[in-house]
Amino acid sequence: MEADNRGVSYLESRKLVKRWDGPWPAVANFLMIFAIFYVTWWIFQDPRGIMRMYTPYVGYMICRWLLIMFIWLAYILDFWPFKRSWLNKTHPVVKGAILTAACVLVMELLIEGFFKGILGQYGIAYFSPSRLHAMGLTEFYAEEYATEAIMMFAAIASWLAPSWVVACENAPWQKLDQPARGITIIVVTFFIGTIVYFVTMHSHMAILFYPWQQYTAITPPYWEKFANTVSGNFHIAWIMCCTVTVWVYESIWQRYPFNLIKTDWLRRTTAFFGIIAVALCMCFFLFYVQDLAWGLNIRGTRRDMAPDWRWLHVGESAIFWLVGVLALSFYGGNWPNKFSRPVNVFLRTLLSMAIGAAVYFLYYRYAHLILGTQKGLSHPQQFPMIPMIWLINIFLVNMWFMDGWPGWKAVPKTSAELEEVEETIVAHDVTWTPGLAKGLAVGAVAGAVVYFGVISILPWLGHIQMIR
Amino acid sequence: MTDDTTTSRRDFVKGVATGAIGGALAGMGLYSYTGSAYDRLAKVTRQQQDFGAVRSVKVTAISETSWFNNAHLMEDIKKAGGLLVDQYTIGWGPFGNGKGVGKGSYEEGVANIKKMLPNDLEEAWAVQEKLSLHPDNPGGFSTLIEVEDLDGSKHKYLLDTGWSYKWMDQSFKREGIDQMLRSGEIEALILTHEHFDHYWGLPATMKYNNKLPMYIHNGFYKEGLQYIKDSGYKGEPVKVDKEMTVIRPGMMLVKFDVPIICRVFGETSLAFNVKDKGLVLVSGCNHQGILQMTSTAFQKLKYDNDRFYGIYGGLHISPFEDWDPKYDDLVISLGKWKFEKVGCNHCTGHLTAKKFVERGYPVVRGTARFRTSSPDYLGNGDTLTF
Repeated sequence: MEADNRGVSYLESRKLVKRWDGPWPAVANFLMIFAIFYVTWWIFQDPRGIMRMYTPYVGYMICRWLLIMFIWLAYILDFWPFKRSWLNKTHPVVKGAILTAACVLVMELLIEGFFKGILGQYGIAYFSPSRLHAMGLTEFYAEEYATEAIMMFAAIASWLAPSWVVACENAPWQKLDQPARGITIIVVTFFIGTIVYFVTMHSHMAILFYPWQQYTAITPPYWEKFANTVSGNFHIAWIMCCTVTVWVYESIWQRYPFNLIKTDWLRRTTAFFGIIAVALCMCFFLFYVQDLAWGLNIRGTRRDMAPDWRWLHVGESAIFWLVGVLALSFYGGNWPNKFSRPVNVFLRTLLSMAIGAAVYFLYYRYAHLILGTQKGLSHPQQFPMIPMIWLINIFLVNMWFMDGWPGWKAVPKTSAELEEVEETIVAHDVTWTPGLAKGLAVGAVAGAVVYFGVISILPWLGHIQMIR
Repeated sequence: MTDDTTTSRRDFVKGVATGAIGGALAGMGLYSYTGSAYDRLAKVTRQQQDFGAVRSVKVTAISETSWFNNAHLMEDIKKAGGLLVDQYTIGWGPFGNGKGVGKGSYEEGVANIKKMLPNDLEEAWAVQEKLSLHPDNPGGFSTLIEVEDLDGSKHKYLLDTGWSYKWMDQSFKREGIDQMLRSGEIEALILTHEHFDHYWGLPATMKYNNKLPMYIHNGFYKEGLQYIKDSGYKGEPVKVDKEMTVIRPGMMLVKFDVPIICRVFGETSLAFNVKDKGLVLVSGCNHQGILQMTSTAFQKLKYDNDRFYGIYGGLHISPFEDWDPKYDDLVISLGKWKFEKVGCNHCTGHLTAKKFVERGYPVVRGTARFRTSSPDYLGNGDTLTF
């Protein structure tokens, strides 16, 4: 067997080169992606379509767990059990179809076998639709509640699983061969994810049933006063921000600035908790933005004025940014690249935010005409995260499983290019100098001024009806 | 320019780029969700519109039982694809086309009964019983509102018109609504929103008076607008397009533009200023949320004693006896408005009523007659006077 564990992962070992000059590769890929998005949306999700899984929680659970499957296969297992030689020689379309099918199969086993079967039948009743139905819930809500709980596990995994690779650099198991390394990381992140689930989401689920399940969960939950709601959407907010920050850090930030830390354990620890810190900043800001633009939230209201919806919308807004981040990284060549890493990072951040804002605007303006969803900002059974994650999943299939086909093709990296990978993990291009220190101070002040400028104009922007 | 200067300038720019992100993030994280940040928010200024007052308001629950079997309703919704599916395609009467769940259509459904509307409702519904899903399940929501002006004169309004032709015709006869409509005593029909259980029984009203003034939310879809014509209405409905519409002194129609399950958009609710008592809110389903309603009323309406006095109608909290933690937010928060009479029913849900009672809210109990399943709240045939 060809070496599958030679230190550099498959994704790091390949270079994606454009098949044609100019914008045509991106144009071709976007056309294909949007076609696949619309066809698959119609088949699986659309409330007017064939399978109509957007109930919403069934479709929500599926798209989130598919995302995790893709991350597990490509990032954590480095495509094990598929051989590197097979990955190198198989046509991208065939590869995409087989790898996606494998992910769907494992996802079904996990959802039906582990969550509904083992956990739902022998552990916690609310993971099992059949048990809930047998206890008197309507079949519809039995399915919705169980899939909501299963979906929440995926939300946590979407942060922790990639974070272990990106921030912790697979430590301390980085030297293990596959599948030992991948399985270990999956088990460990799943274990941590379970703890996070119990301290963030379990109380939310316990409140779904009458009376509050106070002997099995903390009710009212400990976050009630801080978040002004008993809903677990508060946790969805910061966890989704963590998910987005992981990919921002990995893609457009090229692991800057934590990759400047030379000491392995310090860099990894700082990166892991640094991602959480950045995510919390984003989370509180995006919540505050809504209060500034639309007026102070009112607890107990049902729609866009409700704190629980606004926390949820924090996560939704972050996902719109992630679409911008991945579009720029995958199909825009992570532009710009000609400046120093910090300047590139700065410009990409602004650019991806602009793309995310445009997608946000287009979604709320036009999605109901295309996706079979309802017009308006805050339909209680509507989650823009579903189409956005569905789209992101197709991005990932295209770039991870299909090597960017048709616009791109994979070629092996040269030794020099592989060294650049190392440079991303531990960077040497920014060093401490008096000039850097002055720049940091000036930049920090400028950043703070921009922040206060933005929050000053938001109350006026909130009156623009096209956003609302 | 020396190399040192160039290096220094480059380092400076690197620092600025990094520091700018760091500075912005610091502001976002350290300031955004703090008390100081919230002190910046403009205080809510009340712009209280004086819309007059009434002496009293009496409501009669003609029917609050929109459907009789929750499991059957949810089974149909589940099979059709969930709560975002267009209501006209689910396959319920009067738009059943015999093709099964999720394959209904307004045009095909109404074509089977159009010629019978509005006078031959029994036959129309009999046709639909063969074509639609769970034909015995539909009931409907409809309320008679009697407003007593300050001079003692009384005025009647019909709030919503239910769902099943058969059930609504029976209910109208039970409460004498048929005669009130025929004689013109009922001055207008106010349709709160386009949902099946509030609106699809329109021919039952048209049968007795097809010219009475009608108010609808301007978010009605084309099928809903066509149904007004197909039901035999001979007037021109008032499409409410302003947030506040005075129906008569002391009676305000309040419009909310909210997306609603089963592809419906927008709801209107009523607010009454009852002399010496305070504000009374009457709703069909309150999809906008009762606290959105109270918040809007608090900011924009002037009412006696600056006090919220009563609620009547569906509060759309657990209509399918479902639950979500955000509903507990509502249950917990409703108390601060100190309503003296909570006349909830219909889509409020029995579980919600139970939780209201546990928190000590003054929920008015009903008599559980005419197929209302529990005395937890006001049921069919029950009345409440504010």
